[in-house]
Amino acid sequence: MSASAHRSFAISRMAAITRTTFTELVRLKVFYFLLIFALLLIGNSLFMARLSFQQEFQVLKDVSLGAMSIFTSLLAIVATAQLLPRDVEDRTIYTILAKPVPRYEYLIGKLAGVLLLLALSIIAMSALFFVVLFTREQMLVNETVRGTAGLPPGQIEEAIRSLRASAFNTNLIPGIVIIFLKASLLASLTLFISTFATSNIFTVVVMVFIYFIGHLQATAREYWLQEHGAGWLAKTFLAFVALAFPDLQLFNLVDDIVAGTAIPMALFAKTGVLGMVYTSVYLFFAWVSFHGKEL
Amino acid sequence: MIRGPLVVALLLSFGALRLPIEAALTAQHRSAYFHQAQLGLGLREQVGQLGFLAALSGFRSLVADVVFIQAHIAWERTEWGRVYLLFREATTLQPRAVMFWDMAAWHMAWNASVAALHDPTHASDALRHKAAEEYFALGKDFLERGIKNNPDRPELYESLARLYKEKLDDHAAAARCYARAAALPHAPEYDKRFAAYELSFAPGHEREAYAALRALYDRGEHERLPTLLKRLKYLEQTLDIPLDRRIPN
Amino acid sequence: MTEPAIAVHSLTKVFPIPFRRARLVAVRDLNLEVAPGQVYGLLGPNGSGKSTTLKIILGLVSPSAGRTEIFGRDSREVRSREAVGFLPENPYFYKYLTGEETLRFYGKLCGLHGRELTARTNEMLALVRLEDARERRLGGYSKGMLQRIGLAQSLIHEPKLVVLDEPTAGVDPAGSREIRDLILDLKKRGITVLLSSHLLAQVQEICDRVGILAQGNLVREGRVEDLLAIENQTELILENATPETLAQITALLANSKTRLVEQRQPQTTLERLFLEATAATREKK
Repeated sequence: MSASAHRSFAISRMAAITRTTFTELVRLKVFYFLLIFALLLIGNSLFMARLSFQQEFQVLKDVSLGAMSIFTSLLAIVATAQLLPRDVEDRTIYTILAKPVPRYEYLIGKLAGVLLLLALSIIAMSALFFVVLFTREQMLVNETVRGTAGLPPGQIEEAIRSLRASAFNTNLIPGIVIIFLKASLLASLTLFISTFATSNIFTVVVMVFIYFIGHLQATAREYWLQEHGAGWLAKTFLAFVALAFPDLQLFNLVDDIVAGTAIPMALFAKTGVLGMVYTSVYLFFAWVSFHGKEL
Repeated sequence: MIRGPLVVALLLSFGALRLPIEAALTAQHRSAYFHQAQLGLGLREQVGQLGFLAALSGFRSLVADVVFIQAHIAWERTEWGRVYLLFREATTLQPRAVMFWDMAAWHMAWNASVAALHDPTHASDALRHKAAEEYFALGKDFLERGIKNNPDRPELYESLARLYKEKLDDHAAAARCYARAAALPHAPEYDKRFAAYELSFAPGHEREAYAALRALYDRGEHERLPTLLKRLKYLEQTLDIPLDRRIPN
Repeated sequence: MTEPAIAVHSLTKVFPIPFRRARLVAVRDLNLEVAPGQVYGLLGPNGSGKSTTLKIILGLVSPSAGRTEIFGRDSREVRSREAVGFLPENPYFYKYLTGEETLRFYGKLCGLHGRELTARTNEMLALVRLEDARERRLGGYSKGMLQRIGLAQSLIHEPKLVVLDEPTAGVDPAGSREIRDLILDLKKRGITVLLSSHLLAQVQEICDRVGILAQGNLVREGRVEDLLAIENQTELILENATPETLAQITALLANSKTRLVEQRQPQTTLERLFLEATAATREKK
């Protein structure tokens, strides 16, 4: 018998579960399909319709960040939805929980495996995106230098500066972090739904539904808090939407980043913290639901 | 099983707790980026089903780009009505893309208007001019709405100034636009000069223009560009400035 | 008196059936004890409540009434499972892990690491004779091999108690024999074994005590010999008996209340016959 006394919160146990979860997910066919699709999309923007360099960079950024956003959101939902049902169906969950593993460690380990997968995917896609962006930028700078050969240096500098400004924008990086946090929120929420869902499909369908409603939540909230003409039935419905659903619009900073708006770091930080709070709270709910579940 | 109701209660309490935080964040978004596309029914009518769904799922910008490309194609086919509608959709979906407003105005005031002037389907020259003027107005409208959504970007003021100057022949208004552009941080340095130039072309503003041009001249060598010198000389003539105060030849 | 390995006190489990007012009583007021070092068989047909009882003992399901304890600790505490190993019915493990990786995974869940983990993994692979298949993915294991690796993971942390749910179900006679030998080996080491099965003939020879469940009720409980003994009958097995000796015995019985019920040649079992016949082919493998 192992000599160490039972620790109620052991990183090594959770790490073991994280590792097997990650290895299992990496073999999911849907993961490869989505990843290749996203990479193709980003790489393809190199060849998209060349209108002017501003337009080109805008389209490149929109497509890449959009692909990252949709890929991670989809993967978060689809990968997490089948974690618990798979373990229950294969009865592996009995072998794990029959060991001295508290149920919350099991959940944390599973979620951590998904988050690891999402993080690595985003890093891969960002790497490709930045390579494409810098390559295009460099090509265009060379073209510009050749094209403005005879002009005064001030104007050449101005042209290059404006070119570079429409390409890389330091806000892109925190923007990508926010995309990751939105996906982790969705993963955590999916885990929660899967603890009481009757099947894999049910979880996925519910999450897609929540995804759309989550983008309307802000509007519902405002109508509920401000609208005076609506009847009590409408108000109750709006209140329910405002309270039960997450506000996903807050995590859509990508549009403004691409448009070049200067977004203060404080706003990124607040949004980031909100994302982490959401993820933790939904994990907690998952534990409350899973804690007493009959297996 | 008390699990179910307990979870629902927890969910709603969490909702109540985060309500003020989210409302504050949304307000902060609004104040920083005016008029983010409101997801109301008006939007649905304006942008069509695909656009609405895109806004719903947070891919406004992407759809705006696609619409923009469609507008470009419509321009190549000189389908002016469609160009106008598509640009309206694109700017509604993505009001923070300065380029959309700019291109919209350019297509209306410079391209569509010229096409109207040469349009054989109109019965007379007068009617053709009227059509062209309608397009000028549409272009102006795009730029003004663009400025409302992006009051911190000099590019739109500059485009509006050019519109006043080249199409509406209103140099005083053009000068005002350049001046507003020049007042913004990160404005290019030529905006101040252009404001002065336009003023110099506006009848009745000669004194003002002279003062402005002279002030720029006095700044130093970097401002003494050929156009500035030419206009200054012209004004000195027109206003009959005493010889000892004129600039050297 | 040493505390029992498992103690079940007045255990009742009721499952509500959704959308109907009915309830399913899976286990009804069950009381039993398993002493340390015993092999205890919980027997009964499918649906008799065996699996539910095992799951409650392991803390996977909570009781509606009553309680269960492992070595004095309530089953609902996570700590109680430090001393238990579990092999569920028809287990699948993670198919993409090799045998060795699977054992290492479960070892880590029990708090083993480093050299100790490696040593235990090797020991277990040797014990269940899967050393040749340690690098092979579980997706390529046969049923018997899966059962053996399952047994290995249940023993990786040297538990004092092992719970086996239908350990020989679906396994071929040779594999079944091996598993039963392993169980007897565990008993020799002093490990308590609780197993459930509906294959009565197979477990008859390895269990010390049995409890028979039917529809959630414990209908019989006790030592195997006691339960199986047909009380008023005795069996004599004679070797090299001549017909004269047999006649003498029969005559002896004629004058007493004892009645000769049956005289026949004992048979081997079909299982033993099969194993002997296939021993040669198995040796070759």
